[in-house]
Amino acid sequence: MAGRSPLHRLPAGVKLAALMAISIALYPVDQPLWLLPVLLLTIAGYATLGPGGLQRLTLVKPVLPFLLLILVFQTWTQGWAAGLVMLQRILVMVLLANLVTLTTSMDAMMAAVMPLLRPLRWVGVAPHRIAFAVALLVRFVPVLMALTASLLEAWRARGGGRRQWRLAVPLLINAIRLSDHVAEALAARGGIPNDSTH
Amino acid sequence: MTLLTDPAASFGFSLERVVLERTGQRVLNEVTLEVNQARVGLIGNNGSGKSSLVRLLNGLLKPTSGEVRVNGRNPADGPEAIAGQVGFIFQNPDHQIIFPTVLEEVAFGLRNLGRSRKAAQAEALAFLETQGRADWAQRPVHSLSEGQKQLVCIFAVLVMQPKLIVLDEPFSALDYPTRLHVLNWLHQLPQQLLMISHELDCLDGFDRLIWLDNGQVRGDGEPARILDAYRQASLAGVTL
Repeated sequence: MAGRSPLHRLPAGVKLAALMAISIALYPVDQPLWLLPVLLLTIAGYATLGPGGLQRLTLVKPVLPFLLLILVFQTWTQGWAAGLVMLQRILVMVLLANLVTLTTSMDAMMAAVMPLLRPLRWVGVAPHRIAFAVALLVRFVPVLMALTASLLEAWRARGGGRRQWRLAVPLLINAIRLSDHVAEALAARGGIPNDSTH
Repeated sequence: MTLLTDPAASFGFSLERVVLERTGQRVLNEVTLEVNQARVGLIGNNGSGKSSLVRLLNGLLKPTSGEVRVNGRNPADGPEAIAGQVGFIFQNPDHQIIFPTVLEEVAFGLRNLGRSRKAAQAEALAFLETQGRADWAQRPVHSLSEGQKQLVCIFAVLVMQPKLIVLDEPFSALDYPTRLHVLNWLHQLPQQLLMISHELDCLDGFDRLIWLDNGQVRGDGEPARILDAYRQASLAGVTL
């Protein structure tokens, strides 16, 4: 998401570190009422993004059924307090992680993650390639979703039934073909830039 | 046929008895071409070897035998080495756009030309400004229309200042007005263009057409004449 909000200006490393720290700090909290202000603060964070910021909260819509399932299961096995804690904890983490993604450019994210990947060099893996792969993954989520939707359409258009799991193999094949195209396009613009040379 | 006479814009590529085999099949058979016109179209039926031929020009494919030269360089040295010389536009922008925002996408190629992250971003932004699209910089690519995406692909290549731009059916996803707009815009570029297209009316105003058939050059020269011959052959029918 484009913008110049205070969160946008914060360095990527700081945001990622804060995300990690908050995630760990939330772990020992077992009172649902203590988590509520954290959740509200997170939502307030979206409000600081400016117009349209709060709208971004709708991202949790697709995971709501799962959250509900977890809530029911937790309440059933360990009581309603544990259920509410689990629910809020997951909500906060999903929303915060998304907030970081929204306010950080891919380039900045890659630069921030690079030092953590440096030890990989000892086993012969170039860290900038891993960072690049992560960035690619994020970029291609919408593309893969569109691919799934078009396969599903083709499936239905020819009267495909409810056994939609059968699309898994064609989806995989399409994804592999897509990755071939992307690899070609990458090479055509000079491959993956090596950050360590700068 | 017009040759560009401006020495600053001197360019050209050549193929010398090029043979290309892919999985045992001969895709290109002894193709010899010397091309230094500014606007060159490449036509032919599916499977005639068009896409393979253009992939030889930027090293994505290497000839089985024969020699390819682009502005005096050998693309067989690999796509990384030739990326600054040859820009490549693919059919589907979604296969080509790697980054989530327009600025990052345009800056990417510059990083590969050795610019630092900061310099690449500044240069990419300046480039978008010269194109009158500075407001696109922070836009997420998935929010752009198909035509805008294809323009971003071309920007991302153009910013690297290649001498030759290869376009592999760039208009298949574009509606008619967008196609005309992009085509007009392409014609204003100083670079040499080599375009594969099935939309034959897109090739109006080109300097030269090359017609590939079964891995060989079947026609080559003045567009009107080649188009006519190609149409005649198409009317005679194809066997599927």
